[in-house]
Amino acid sequence: MLASVLLQAAAGANESFMQFLAENIQVFLSYTGFANATPGHFIMLLVGLLFIFLAIKYEFEPMLLIPIGFGILIGNIPFKDAGLQLGIYEEGSVLNILYQGVKQGWYPPLIFLGIGAMTDFSALISNPKLMLVGAAAQFGIFGAYIIALQMGFDPSQAGAIGIIGGADGPTAIFLSSKLAPNLMGAIAVSAYSYMALVPIIQPPFMRLLTTQKERLIRMKPPRVVSQTEKIMFPIVGLLLTAFLVPSGLPLLGMLFFGNLCKESGVTRRLAETARGPLIDVITMLLGVTVGASTQATQFLTINSIKIFGLGALSFVIATCAGVLFVKFFNLFLKEGNKINPLIGNSGVSAVPDAARISQNVGLEYDPSNYLLMHAMGPNVAGVIGSAVAAGILLGFLG
Amino acid sequence: MTNKKFGALLLLLVLFTFGAKAQLTTSVKINEVLVVNEDNFVDDYGKRHPWIELYNNSAGTVDLRGCFLTNDKNNPRKYMIPKGDVLTKIPPYQHTLFWADDQPTRGTFHVNFTLDPNKDNYIALYDADGTTLIDEVVVPAGQKADISYGLDMDGKGKWMVLSKVTPSTNNVTLDSNEKVENFQRNDSWGIGMTITAMAVVFLGLIVLYLVFKQIGKAAIKASQRNAQKAAEASGTKMSANAGQESGEIFAAISMALYELSDDNHDIENTVLTIRKVQRSYSPWSSKIYSLRQTPVVKK
Repeated sequence: MLASVLLQAAAGANESFMQFLAENIQVFLSYTGFANATPGHFIMLLVGLLFIFLAIKYEFEPMLLIPIGFGILIGNIPFKDAGLQLGIYEEGSVLNILYQGVKQGWYPPLIFLGIGAMTDFSALISNPKLMLVGAAAQFGIFGAYIIALQMGFDPSQAGAIGIIGGADGPTAIFLSSKLAPNLMGAIAVSAYSYMALVPIIQPPFMRLLTTQKERLIRMKPPRVVSQTEKIMFPIVGLLLTAFLVPSGLPLLGMLFFGNLCKESGVTRRLAETARGPLIDVITMLLGVTVGASTQATQFLTINSIKIFGLGALSFVIATCAGVLFVKFFNLFLKEGNKINPLIGNSGVSAVPDAARISQNVGLEYDPSNYLLMHAMGPNVAGVIGSAVAAGILLGFLG
Repeated sequence: MTNKKFGALLLLLVLFTFGAKAQLTTSVKINEVLVVNEDNFVDDYGKRHPWIELYNNSAGTVDLRGCFLTNDKNNPRKYMIPKGDVLTKIPPYQHTLFWADDQPTRGTFHVNFTLDPNKDNYIALYDADGTTLIDEVVVPAGQKADISYGLDMDGKGKWMVLSKVTPSTNNVTLDSNEKVENFQRNDSWGIGMTITAMAVVFLGLIVLYLVFKQIGKAAIKASQRNAQKAAEASGTKMSANAGQESGEIFAAISMALYELSDDNHDIENTVLTIRKVQRSYSPWSSKIYSLRQTPVVKK
């Protein structure tokens, strides 16, 4: 009798224990990514994998696409929203803390510090008229701004989208974090994606808008620039541009500060840190967090698709504006001083990719015509130009 | 000499620090005053009293501790805002409210005077030194009940009877982004923005171009002068494009020198460098300070 009661109790206990186990497993399963996945998550995971593939297979801006691509994977692992502080948009989560550099806009100026410390402005100083090419290419920003307005975006959003045409990731993040924080993920990914794709986007338009004769123009080799000139450039550059557009100060200030560290010759350690470990660390954090911010639930919207379309268009407009401006400028230049319009594309500030494209396309038509150094002039002027343009947009719309 | 320089630097630093502090506290403004509080904001004790609202009109947090509030021109130190209360810090562009109930025992934000609706009320805020006036206002006599007197724009503008009472919030709140709406209304195509912004971008880079064109000319002239001197010293003729040599020439010379050195000294481990090796001394770069002292065995 007692034995049967004990057996029944054990069986009952066993049954409730099994039920407890089953419930636990069920709860566990409800927390897994498989239970919470949506088609959107898989689409974004494929996008992330595509970025990683492009970076490894074709070496399209691997420093950007690998962190962003992997960030997209991190950001699109589905999970149950149970207040575990996992997601990038959950206040206090590790990813959210790292994301503050993007959200508050302090990663981009640090990237600019590194860019300044690694940029040699000699080509620009030796031939300062190339600065105007860098200015002309900023038409890409405002061309996209006009089209975005017509597509129904409000002026702040249109300004943030237009800056993609500046081909400058940090500037795009900085401005969109101020003008349209809700569109920042799409804008940042779009800007970096197209920067990686300039070797595909730019050459057809460069060929389309130039004649065979123009592509063969040989430019005078740049003169050697003295150290005094190199030191004066960041100081004068900062004072002139920042006085004109104070709202561009965070970007311009850090860019020129980094450059002064490089050119002064007495702060080599600072310059090396800025262009080495510092920019590497920030690039990693920025890339991963921008990628992770593209959570399917937040990212897969009609607006994101529109932004991607506008981004491509802005790069095309910027490229065409740069090339056409050089052709126009050549009308006023003497023979021997003319500029090869193939460097017009490098007015966008994708440094140094755009300049490398000028060089490669130039070499296709004349294997001994090296345009790289000339193209670096408008290329770095484009960095200044896009920072100034961002400052103007921020001043007008912020 | 070094001591003098150090002293001057220290002095500048001290002046700068004081200047920075002064700049922060002076950005606080008396923003709104309610003299007759019959059916308006209540304090933490559930009582209604006249109140004075201060506004931090700066982008940095300001700590009011030690500053003075007064309603008496002859006694600037009438009520010292207590030190040690974390709530005396006003975040950027935000407000804090003081109750004019003559009951300072009720806490930091209850001053030791009150406001009289039957006469002009002088209210002033003094810095922690008790002599530097930060802001003052005279609220005219005859204020109506539950109608406040304040600045028409927070932290600036004119004093007036306000249309709505806004304790601890902005006197003016915007229901829209005026700038953006202005662009939407007057520049729906974005042409105006494009023209303006491109003009500014071009202007900035044209100015930079003009400045560096002149600097470049001056640099070329300086190089030519040096080349002239060198030519005179060596008795040779100066080259026509002295001072404008391309970097390619120097690269070719460097490469030739390197190859020569490589050919002649292919066994020796030599490195040709154009890097300046002499470094100016700085304690930051000194290895002396990072070296461990060699232990000495005492016998």
